[in-house]
Amino acid sequence: MTKRLVQGNEAVLLGAIKAGAAHFAGYPISPSSEILAQASVYAASHPEFRFLQEEDEIASANAILGASLAGAKSFTATSGPGFSLMQEAIGYGHKVGIPCVIVNVMRVGPATGMPTMPGQGDLNQARYGSTGDYTSFVFYPSTVAECYEYTIQAFNAAEESRSPVILLSDAFLGHLNEVADLDAIDVPVVPRTLEPLASGGTRLFSGVATYPDGEPATADADEFIRQYNESRDHRIKVAEKYAFYEYGWNKESETLVIAFGITRRIAQPLAAHFALFRPIRIWPTLDRELTEIAARYKKIIVIEGSDGQYANVVERMLLRRVERVPLLGGRMSLEAVREGLARIGMLPAEPAPSDSGSPARVG
Amino acid sequence: MAVKDKLKTDLFPTIWCPGCGIGLIMQQLATVMDELGLDKNNTVLVTGIGCTGRMGAYMNFESVYTLHGRTLPVAEAIKMVRPELHVLVVSGDGDLASIGGNHLLHSIRRNPNITVLCNNNEIYGLTGGQTGPTTPQGTSTISSPAGATYTPINLQGVVNTNPNAYYAKTTVYHQGPMRKAIREAIEWPGFSFVDIASQCIENNGRRIGFASANDMLQHYRTTYKAAPPGSTHLEPHQTGIVKGQPLSVAGSARSGNGSGE
Repeated sequence: MTKRLVQGNEAVLLGAIKAGAAHFAGYPISPSSEILAQASVYAASHPEFRFLQEEDEIASANAILGASLAGAKSFTATSGPGFSLMQEAIGYGHKVGIPCVIVNVMRVGPATGMPTMPGQGDLNQARYGSTGDYTSFVFYPSTVAECYEYTIQAFNAAEESRSPVILLSDAFLGHLNEVADLDAIDVPVVPRTLEPLASGGTRLFSGVATYPDGEPATADADEFIRQYNESRDHRIKVAEKYAFYEYGWNKESETLVIAFGITRRIAQPLAAHFALFRPIRIWPTLDRELTEIAARYKKIIVIEGSDGQYANVVERMLLRRVERVPLLGGRMSLEAVREGLARIGMLPAEPAPSDSGSPARVG
Repeated sequence: MAVKDKLKTDLFPTIWCPGCGIGLIMQQLATVMDELGLDKNNTVLVTGIGCTGRMGAYMNFESVYTLHGRTLPVAEAIKMVRPELHVLVVSGDGDLASIGGNHLLHSIRRNPNITVLCNNNEIYGLTGGQTGPTTPQGTSTISSPAGATYTPINLQGVVNTNPNAYYAKTTVYHQGPMRKAIREAIEWPGFSFVDIASQCIENNGRRIGFASANDMLQHYRTTYKAAPPGSTHLEPHQTGIVKGQPLSVAGSARSGNGSGE
């Protein structure tokens, strides 16, 4: 039991190692680069852990697919623009069924945007970034300790779902230093589920629609739908085991605040005035849990670092209007939250005393 | 073991057009794999999008049919995780040199112990015959009706930016030299690249004046000449091998193999 200062990005790397990761491929990009740098340091003294700084994020994402097929739990870390370059490979991982983890430490986009400012604008990209239909798996922690914990869970979910899993973080959380006792976090590790390459078989791993014998199935809707339904149903079933969320603060309030990642921490001083729902599993959405909880509240406010990406999801899920507090341009602060609440006439009369309680978790 | 054990003959005939050169590469690759004892327990094929990429489906090995252009990062990662395996990349010139060109530049620089066979038909065949990175200047294609505008990529020059790499140029007509080049490339301790001129009669050859696949093969026979022994650089339309300084590669599956002959 060792308490020490740990940075969010470092906790991600340590979680990956704990989960049994044996391969990292990446390309430098703020604010994720500490993961790359520290992975290289770890690899220098652990030759069984393979590390490669690639020529770009396209290579990084494809490399972790190859490494996973070869038998290694694998991962990469990036931020918004690099995440965009990885999208085709993420779709390939879903199509073929390859466990791997992609960490996206979000900054403000689009394009190069504001490279060192925090944002939460990649929720849609994490869900819909690649071509076609697929079932995304996305977790978003709120604390340094959770960065460790949910990195392990991301690897576990990747193995069980046999798909790429996205771990979202943000520039604040990635660079946040907190005292944490990571050794005290005990998450059972799911072993490898995919038989490694060259195990005596003759499998064909193909991004092209194919029949089980390897013949092209590029014009067979029935076969496509059969394979699609099978992978979707499997992943939704696995997701039920990973229904992570937090429900707390003042549950007697008439208003439910929805906030996640670093935004939940920023909104902490409002704890006396609002109930809180914090999705940790961002995708698939927590429909059953949020529908049941939201029914108890007259109003819902979504506070997020994008112009309504999650608010839109909640409205569509609940079929009711929600209030929005978008925190844009990296202006993610309590002042910005209070200004946003004032704009919609929801600012509590008395500022509540600061509450430093750390997030609780259900699920 | 026999050569045909390397092939999934129950899936034949292949989807390749009659007269395509890819089957001639697959046949020689299967022969070399049989000679060298490459089997489904020690070898992985990585193929890219394009007609050539289908080869993995027809061989009795585990294979990864990657996204367009991404054979090299996938192959390099497999070799990194499993250095004991033979990792063979089989793809086309468009996949390797155009959309995958950045990976080619950097993979070569890192000198992974993998072998690349490039089916170089100087055209985008699968998509119908558009100009590719290797299309000779002036060639009429469906995306360059007045003739391809730009200088084709210099694959030999790119590969030889790595002083320890192996580069061979051959054609599907020259079956013996092609087989030798494939075998030496697999045994080479480091990055090896076999650049194989190969005909696409359906989506290129006929448009540029060849009546049949055989005419294209005869063209390779008369046009390509073997480079003098010991050449350190191949001229256009020369076949031959340019070897760098071989490095011994840690964990190489090939370092114990004998000579190419």
